[in-house]
Amino acid sequence: MTDCGCEKAKAELEEYLHRELSAEDFRDITEHLENCEDCTGEHLVGLTITQKVQRACQETAPEELRARVLEILG
Amino acid sequence: MTDATPEPQQLRALFEEQAIPFMDQLYAAAMRMTRNPADAGDLVQETYTKAYAAFAQYQQGTNLKAWLYRILTNTFINSYRKNQRQPYQNTIDDLEDWQLGSAESLTQGRTTRSAEAEAIDHLPDSDVKEALQSIPEDFRLAVYLADVEGFAYQEIADIMKTPVGTVMSRLHRGRRLLRERLADYARQRGFSEDAISGSKK
Repeated sequence: MTDCGCEKAKAELEEYLHRELSAEDFRDITEHLENCEDCTGEHLVGLTITQKVQRACQETAPEELRARVLEILG
Repeated sequence: MTDATPEPQQLRALFEEQAIPFMDQLYAAAMRMTRNPADAGDLVQETYTKAYAAFAQYQQGTNLKAWLYRILTNTFINSYRKNQRQPYQNTIDDLEDWQLGSAESLTQGRTTRSAEAEAIDHLPDSDVKEALQSIPEDFRLAVYLADVEGFAYQEIADIMKTPVGTVMSRLHRGRRLLRERLADYARQRGFSEDAISGSKK
Protein backbone atom coordinates (compact mmCIF):
# COMPACT_ATOMS: atom_id res chain seq x y z
CA MET A 1 0.00 0.00 0.00
CA THR A 2 1.37 3.36 -0.97
CA ASP A 3 -1.14 5.57 0.86
CA CYS A 4 -1.42 5.82 4.65
CA GLY A 5 -4.18 3.24 4.70
CA CYS A 6 -6.85 5.56 6.06
CA GLU A 7 -9.13 5.21 3.08
CA LYS A 8 -9.17 1.42 3.27
CA ALA A 9 -9.52 1.51 7.05
CA LYS A 10 -12.42 3.97 7.04
CA ALA A 11 -14.22 1.94 4.43
CA GLU A 12 -13.82 -1.28 6.39
CA LEU A 13 -14.15 -0.18 10.01
CA GLU A 14 -17.74 -1.36 10.27
CA GLU A 15 -16.89 -4.81 8.97
CA TYR A 16 -13.86 -4.78 11.23
CA LEU A 17 -16.11 -4.07 14.19
CA HIS A 18 -18.43 -6.90 13.20
CA ARG A 19 -15.58 -9.34 12.56
CA GLU A 20 -16.55 -9.77 8.94
CA LEU A 21 -13.10 -9.24 7.41
CA SER A 22 -10.71 -11.86 6.13
CA ALA A 23 -7.79 -12.63 8.45
CA GLU A 24 -5.49 -10.64 6.20
CA ASP A 25 -7.69 -7.52 6.07
CA PHE A 26 -8.32 -7.79 9.80
CA ARG A 27 -4.56 -7.74 10.40
CA ASP A 28 -4.09 -4.77 8.07
CA ILE A 29 -6.73 -2.72 9.86
CA THR A 30 -5.48 -3.67 13.31
CA GLU A 31 -2.01 -2.61 12.29
CA HIS A 32 -3.31 0.64 10.83
CA LEU A 33 -5.27 1.44 13.98
CA GLU A 34 -2.13 1.10 16.06
CA ASN A 35 -0.58 3.95 14.13
CA CYS A 36 -3.51 6.21 13.27
CA GLU A 37 -5.23 8.24 15.98
CA ASP A 38 -7.86 9.51 13.59
CA CYS A 39 -9.07 6.04 12.60
CA THR A 40 -8.75 4.86 16.20
CA GLY A 41 -11.12 7.66 17.25
CA GLU A 42 -13.56 6.68 14.54
CA HIS A 43 -13.36 3.05 15.61
CA LEU A 44 -13.92 4.05 19.23
CA VAL A 45 -17.17 5.82 18.32
CA GLY A 46 -18.34 2.71 16.45
CA LEU A 47 -17.39 0.43 19.32
CA THR A 48 -19.12 2.69 21.84
CA ILE A 49 -22.35 2.69 19.83
CA THR A 50 -22.33 -1.12 19.70
CA GLN A 51 -21.68 -1.46 23.43
CA LYS A 52 -24.33 1.12 24.34
CA VAL A 53 -26.94 -0.58 22.17
CA GLN A 54 -26.06 -3.99 23.63
CA ARG A 55 -26.44 -2.71 27.17
CA ALA A 56 -29.63 -0.73 26.56
CA CYS A 57 -31.41 -3.64 24.92
CA GLN A 58 -31.16 -6.14 27.76
CA GLU A 59 -34.58 -7.40 28.89
CA THR A 60 -35.94 -10.09 31.15
CA ALA A 61 -39.04 -11.89 29.95
CA PRO A 62 -41.94 -11.43 32.42
CA GLU A 63 -42.80 -14.46 34.57
CA GLU A 64 -46.33 -14.62 33.18
CA LEU A 65 -44.87 -14.97 29.67
CA ARG A 66 -42.59 -17.77 30.82
CA ALA A 67 -45.63 -19.54 32.26
CA ARG A 68 -47.63 -19.02 29.06
CA VAL A 69 -44.81 -20.41 26.93
CA LEU A 70 -44.28 -23.46 29.13
CA GLU A 71 -47.98 -24.17 28.79
CA ILE A 72 -47.46 -24.61 25.04
CA LEU A 73 -45.30 -27.62 25.77
CA GLY A 74 -48.22 -29.27 27.59
CA MET B 1 -30.14 -37.51 8.93
CA THR B 2 -28.68 -40.41 10.84
CA ASP B 3 -30.82 -40.00 13.94
CA ALA B 4 -34.24 -41.51 14.15
CA THR B 5 -37.03 -39.03 14.82
CA PRO B 6 -37.07 -38.41 18.57
CA GLU B 7 -40.07 -39.42 20.60
CA PRO B 8 -42.45 -36.60 21.61
CA GLN B 9 -41.24 -36.84 25.21
CA GLN B 10 -37.64 -36.44 24.10
CA LEU B 11 -38.58 -33.52 21.85
CA ARG B 12 -40.29 -31.77 24.70
CA ALA B 13 -37.29 -32.21 26.97
CA LEU B 14 -34.88 -31.07 24.26
CA PHE B 15 -37.00 -28.04 23.50
CA GLU B 16 -37.19 -27.06 27.13
CA GLU B 17 -33.47 -27.51 27.56
CA GLN B 18 -32.34 -25.85 24.31
CA ALA B 19 -34.96 -23.36 23.14
CA ILE B 20 -36.52 -22.00 26.32
CA PRO B 21 -33.25 -20.41 27.59
CA PHE B 22 -33.43 -17.97 24.64
CA MET B 23 -36.62 -16.42 26.01
CA ASP B 24 -35.06 -13.28 27.49
CA GLN B 25 -33.17 -12.61 24.26
CA LEU B 26 -36.20 -13.25 22.06
CA TYR B 27 -38.29 -11.02 24.30
CA ALA B 28 -35.70 -8.24 24.10
CA ALA B 29 -35.72 -8.48 20.29
CA ALA B 30 -39.52 -8.56 20.28
CA MET B 31 -39.58 -5.42 22.43
CA ARG B 32 -37.47 -3.59 19.86
CA MET B 33 -39.69 -4.89 17.06
CA THR B 34 -43.14 -4.23 18.51
CA ARG B 35 -42.17 -1.40 20.88
CA ASN B 36 -44.48 -2.52 23.68
CA PRO B 37 -44.51 -5.31 26.29
CA ALA B 38 -47.96 -6.72 25.47
CA ASP B 39 -47.23 -7.23 21.77
CA ALA B 40 -43.70 -8.40 22.53
CA GLY B 41 -45.09 -11.09 24.85
CA ASP B 42 -47.61 -12.23 22.24
CA LEU B 43 -44.92 -12.31 19.57
CA VAL B 44 -42.62 -14.45 21.72
CA GLN B 45 -45.47 -16.81 22.58
CA GLU B 46 -46.38 -17.20 18.91
CA THR B 47 -42.72 -17.74 18.04
CA TYR B 48 -42.39 -20.54 20.58
CA THR B 49 -45.66 -22.09 19.46
CA LYS B 50 -44.43 -22.27 15.87
CA ALA B 51 -40.94 -23.35 16.89
CA TYR B 52 -42.28 -26.18 19.03
CA ALA B 53 -44.59 -27.35 16.24
CA ALA B 54 -41.62 -27.40 13.83
CA PHE B 55 -39.01 -28.64 16.29
CA ALA B 56 -38.99 -32.17 14.84
CA GLN B 57 -37.66 -30.62 11.61
CA TYR B 58 -34.95 -28.65 13.37
CA GLN B 59 -31.64 -30.34 12.72
CA GLN B 60 -29.71 -30.85 15.95
CA GLY B 61 -26.27 -29.31 15.84
CA THR B 62 -27.23 -26.43 13.54
CA ASN B 63 -27.62 -22.90 14.88
CA LEU B 64 -30.73 -22.99 17.06
CA LYS B 65 -30.54 -19.32 17.96
CA ALA B 66 -30.56 -18.29 14.29
CA TRP B 67 -33.41 -20.75 13.66
CA LEU B 68 -35.49 -19.17 16.45
CA TYR B 69 -34.72 -15.65 15.26
CA ARG B 70 -35.82 -16.61 11.75
CA ILE B 71 -39.19 -17.71 13.13
CA LEU B 72 -39.45 -14.60 15.32
CA THR B 73 -38.65 -12.26 12.43
CA ASN B 74 -41.02 -14.03 10.01
CA THR B 75 -43.80 -13.97 12.54
CA PHE B 76 -43.24 -10.32 13.23
CA ILE B 77 -43.21 -9.38 9.56
CA ASN B 78 -46.28 -11.46 8.72
CA SER B 79 -48.48 -10.78 11.72
CA TYR B 80 -47.47 -7.57 13.39
CA ARG B 81 -46.00 -5.36 10.76
CA LYS B 82 -49.28 -5.43 8.83
CA ASN B 83 -50.96 -3.69 11.74
CA GLN B 84 -48.43 -0.92 11.93
CA ARG B 85 -48.29 2.07 9.69
CA GLN B 86 -45.04 1.77 7.80
CA PRO B 87 -45.17 4.23 4.93
CA TYR B 88 -41.64 3.57 3.75
CA GLN B 89 -41.70 -0.17 4.25
CA ASN B 90 -41.04 -1.30 0.73
CA THR B 91 -38.96 1.60 -0.40
CA ILE B 92 -36.63 2.28 2.48
CA ASP B 93 -33.66 0.58 0.81
CA ASP B 94 -34.18 2.70 -2.30
CA LEU B 95 -34.07 6.04 -0.54
CA GLU B 96 -31.07 8.18 -1.25
CA ASP B 97 -28.84 9.11 1.65
CA TRP B 98 -29.91 12.75 1.54
CA GLN B 99 -33.52 11.65 2.02
CA LEU B 100 -32.55 9.94 5.24
CA GLY B 101 -30.95 13.02 6.71
CA SER B 102 -27.54 14.56 6.94
CA ALA B 103 -24.89 12.54 5.19
CA GLU B 104 -22.08 14.61 6.54
CA SER B 105 -19.52 13.03 8.75
CA LEU B 106 -20.47 13.98 12.27
CA THR B 107 -17.17 15.08 13.61
CA GLN B 108 -13.76 15.73 12.28
CA GLY B 109 -10.50 15.28 14.02
CA ARG B 110 -9.37 12.97 16.76
CA THR B 111 -10.15 15.07 19.81
CA THR B 112 -13.74 15.60 18.75
CA ARG B 113 -14.15 11.90 17.97
CA SER B 114 -13.06 10.79 21.39
CA ALA B 115 -15.32 13.46 22.92
CA GLU B 116 -18.17 12.13 20.79
CA ALA B 117 -17.53 8.59 22.01
CA GLU B 118 -17.46 9.80 25.59
CA ALA B 119 -20.67 11.80 25.21
CA ILE B 120 -22.44 8.79 23.70
CA ASP B 121 -21.09 6.59 26.46
CA HIS B 122 -22.74 8.81 29.08
CA LEU B 123 -26.22 8.64 27.57
CA PRO B 124 -28.87 6.80 29.59
CA ASP B 125 -30.30 3.54 28.21
CA SER B 126 -33.65 5.26 27.60
CA ASP B 127 -32.04 7.63 25.07
CA VAL B 128 -30.32 4.76 23.30
CA LYS B 129 -33.58 2.80 23.04
CA GLU B 130 -35.45 5.86 21.77
CA ALA B 131 -32.76 6.55 19.21
CA LEU B 132 -32.90 2.95 18.03
CA GLN B 133 -36.69 3.13 17.90
CA SER B 134 -36.55 6.22 15.72
CA ILE B 135 -34.67 4.65 12.81
CA PRO B 136 -36.51 2.81 10.02
CA GLU B 137 -37.53 -0.71 10.93
CA ASP B 138 -35.41 -2.68 8.45
CA PHE B 139 -32.34 -0.70 9.46
CA ARG B 140 -33.15 -1.14 13.14
CA LEU B 141 -33.51 -4.90 12.74
CA ALA B 142 -30.20 -5.22 10.94
CA VAL B 143 -28.44 -3.17 13.62
CA TYR B 144 -30.10 -5.16 16.37
CA LEU B 145 -29.19 -8.53 14.89
CA ALA B 146 -25.57 -7.52 14.25
CA ASP B 147 -24.77 -5.37 17.27
CA VAL B 148 -26.90 -6.84 20.04
CA GLU B 149 -27.06 -10.47 18.97
CA GLY B 150 -23.74 -10.67 17.17
CA PHE B 151 -25.10 -12.55 14.17
CA ALA B 152 -22.82 -12.78 11.13
CA TYR B 153 -23.89 -10.87 8.02
CA GLN B 154 -24.79 -14.12 6.25
CA GLU B 155 -26.98 -15.20 9.19
CA ILE B 156 -28.74 -11.83 9.16
CA ALA B 157 -29.29 -12.22 5.43
CA ASP B 158 -30.94 -15.60 6.09
CA ILE B 159 -33.05 -14.23 8.93
CA MET B 160 -34.21 -11.16 7.00
CA LYS B 161 -34.43 -13.05 3.70
CA THR B 162 -32.37 -10.50 1.86
CA PRO B 163 -28.97 -10.49 0.08
CA VAL B 164 -25.84 -9.86 2.15
CA GLY B 165 -25.25 -6.62 0.24
CA THR B 166 -28.62 -5.31 1.43
CA VAL B 167 -27.75 -6.29 5.00
CA MET B 168 -24.52 -4.32 4.78
CA SER B 169 -26.29 -1.29 3.35
CA ARG B 170 -29.01 -1.42 6.04
CA LEU B 171 -26.40 -1.78 8.76
CA HIS B 172 -24.32 1.06 7.44
CA ARG B 173 -27.23 3.43 7.07
CA GLY B 174 -28.86 2.33 10.29
CA ARG B 175 -25.70 2.87 12.28
CA ARG B 176 -25.13 6.24 10.70
CA LEU B 177 -28.65 7.40 11.56
CA LEU B 178 -28.25 6.01 15.05
CA ARG B 179 -25.01 7.91 15.50
CA GLU B 180 -26.69 11.15 14.44
CA ARG B 181 -29.60 10.63 16.83
CA LEU B 182 -27.26 9.78 19.69
CA ALA B 183 -25.26 12.92 18.99
CA ASP B 184 -28.55 14.89 19.07
CA TYR B 185 -29.41 13.45 22.48
CA ALA B 186 -25.93 14.16 23.76
CA ARG B 187 -26.24 17.74 22.58
CA GLN B 188 -29.64 18.13 24.24
CA ARG B 189 -28.21 16.85 27.48
CA GLY B 190 -25.34 19.26 27.21
CA PHE B 191 -22.60 16.66 27.08
CA SER B 192 -19.40 17.98 25.58
CA GLU B 193 -21.26 20.83 23.95
CA ASP B 194 -18.20 22.30 22.30
CA ALA B 195 -17.07 18.99 20.91
CA ILE B 196 -20.29 18.06 19.18
CA SER B 197 -22.05 21.33 18.49
CA GLY B 198 -20.19 22.13 15.30
CA SER B 199 -20.94 18.82 13.65
CA LYS B 200 -24.11 19.69 11.78
CA LYS B 201 -23.50 23.31 11.03
